[in-house]
Formats: sequence, structure tokens, C-alpha cells
Amino acid sequence: MESIERKPATSLRPLVLTWLALVGLTLLSPLLGNGLGGQEAVQLIVAAIIWIKGHLVARHFIEAELAHPFIRSVLRFFIAFTPIAIVLTTFFGDRFARFASL
Amino acid sequence: MIANTMSLPTTLGDAPPATGRVPGNKGIWVGICCEFVEFLVLFVVYFVARAHFPDAFHSGAERLSQAAGVVITLLMVSSSFFIACSVTSLRAGRRRESIAWLIAGLVAALGYPVAKYLEIQWNLAHGIDGESGIFFTVYYYLTFTHMVHAFWGILGILWVLTRHSFGIYTADEHSGLEALASYWHATDIIWLVIFPFFYVLA
Repeated sequence: MESIERKPATSLRPLVLTWLALVGLTLLSPLLGNGLGGQEAVQLIVAAIIWIKGHLVARHFIEAELAHPFIRSVLRFFIAFTPIAIVLTTFFGDRFARFASL
Repeated sequence: MIANTMSLPTTLGDAPPATGRVPGNKGIWVGICCEFVEFLVLFVVYFVARAHFPDAFHSGAERLSQAAGVVITLLMVSSSFFIACSVTSLRAGRRRESIAWLIAGLVAALGYPVAKYLEIQWNLAHGIDGESGIFFTVYYYLTFTHMVHAFWGILGILWVLTRHSFGIYTADEHSGLEALASYWHATDIIWLVIFPFFYVLA
């Protein structure tokens, strides 16, 4: 029986598109810092951009979708950690500070 | 017997493979996991400090050169892109093109320490050093640690480029090049997290 196996890419096109997206999101970031919307909204947008950029690098540069499940899980966890932490500290910063006090 | 017991039915279609490939080799992924753990600890330190001193982190980011942060980020993503192109070109059998992409990746990667040096000179000229407050202590510690990891990556690029120029990597066997690429992409992902910490989240 022939197995269906997805092979690593040999086309540069998805890499170019990914790079353009990363450059665009990077150039967008300073505008956010300069005060687009409220403080909480900016934090949420920044969290989303971190996740999108990390996801793009993992998916198209590392080819995480083809990687071993453990590698996929490590990348997913690391990329999700900071956006989640930003959201939590934005809304529960005081509580987190009390919890992290010695 | 054990193998038969352990085997599970596989799912076909667009779902991720149940047993995927290891990009590069297992050793580099042990290193990448250690690198991720190290930076996760530092990120926790950042969030704890930020939660305790929100005003210092709010005003601190405004004193740094945002242009320096943007330039370093563009260098990192571009270098990562060039090295990904090097791997893909070699897979397609285009060895010379692959070497050219790798050289481009090295040049962009070398721009990082140069930009960092200029940024530090700018900081010192504006009275920003490691004793300027909690924000800048965390900033210097995290960015210098990342710089050290990038330095290992640059040495790795030089090593792989040397081997590549001697024709050691082929379209069928290039795990060394792919291992380097995986490490550099992981280091890139870490910078993509650090960048907003200090240059955007004012």
C-alpha cells in the first residue's frame, strides 16, 4: 500500500510571501507604540502580532507542520506563551504582581 | 510484539502527520528546547518586573531608540528568510544558488551585532546604562543574552558555509544546513518576542 507523505517545499514563493508579511508587521509595530487606540487595545494587538509572526516563521521557515509532533508542540507552546502572558498581565497585572511578590 | 501493540491507525488528508520529520537533527532540537526554556525563564522575569514596576516599563520604552529595534528585527527576519531560501534551493538541486542565499543570510546576520553596537553607543550618549533603572537592567540582560545566542548562530553559519562550499551538502543529504537553519529560525522567533517587549509596549 502506498503511503501519502507530505514533502518539504522546493518553491521559494511561500518564503518570499512570509518574509514580506514579517517585514510589513515589523514596520507596523512602531505605529502601535505611538498610540493607535487605547492602551489595552494596543497590548492585545501587539500580542496578536507576536503570535502571527512566530506562527509564520514556524510554519513556513521551520516547516513545523511536517515536523515531529513533539517539535510542533514545543513551537506552539513557546509562540503562544508570550501573547497569553501579555493578555493576562494587561487585565490582571495587579493580581499577578501580588502573586509574584516574595 | 511491542511494535504491533504500539502502532496506531494513521490519519490521511491535510492533518499533520502523526510521526513527522525532524528538521536538521535531534541534537539541534535538544539545544533549541534548552534555548526556549532559558528564554521562557527570562520572559517570566520580564513579566514579574513589568507587573511590579509598570511606570518604569511605560517610560523606559520611550527612551530607547525604536529605529534600532526595527532595524535589528528586519535584519533577523531577513537573515532567517535567506537561510530558509538556502535550504529550499539546495533541496531543488540548485547548489550555487543555495550558497549565495547562505552568504546573504550571513551578511544580514552580521548586521545584527553592528546595529546592536551602534544602539549601545546611542544609549550611552543618552545616559542609558545598566544602572538606569529596572527596565534597562531587564532590557540589557535579555538583549545581551539573545546577542550571545545569535553569536553562536553566526559561528554556525560560518561553519556550515565552509562545508557547503566544499560540496558536502547535497539535495538528498543536507541535515547540517537544515539544523543550522532550525537554530537560526528559533533565535529569530525569540527576537520577535523581545522586540515588542522593549521597543513597542510603551
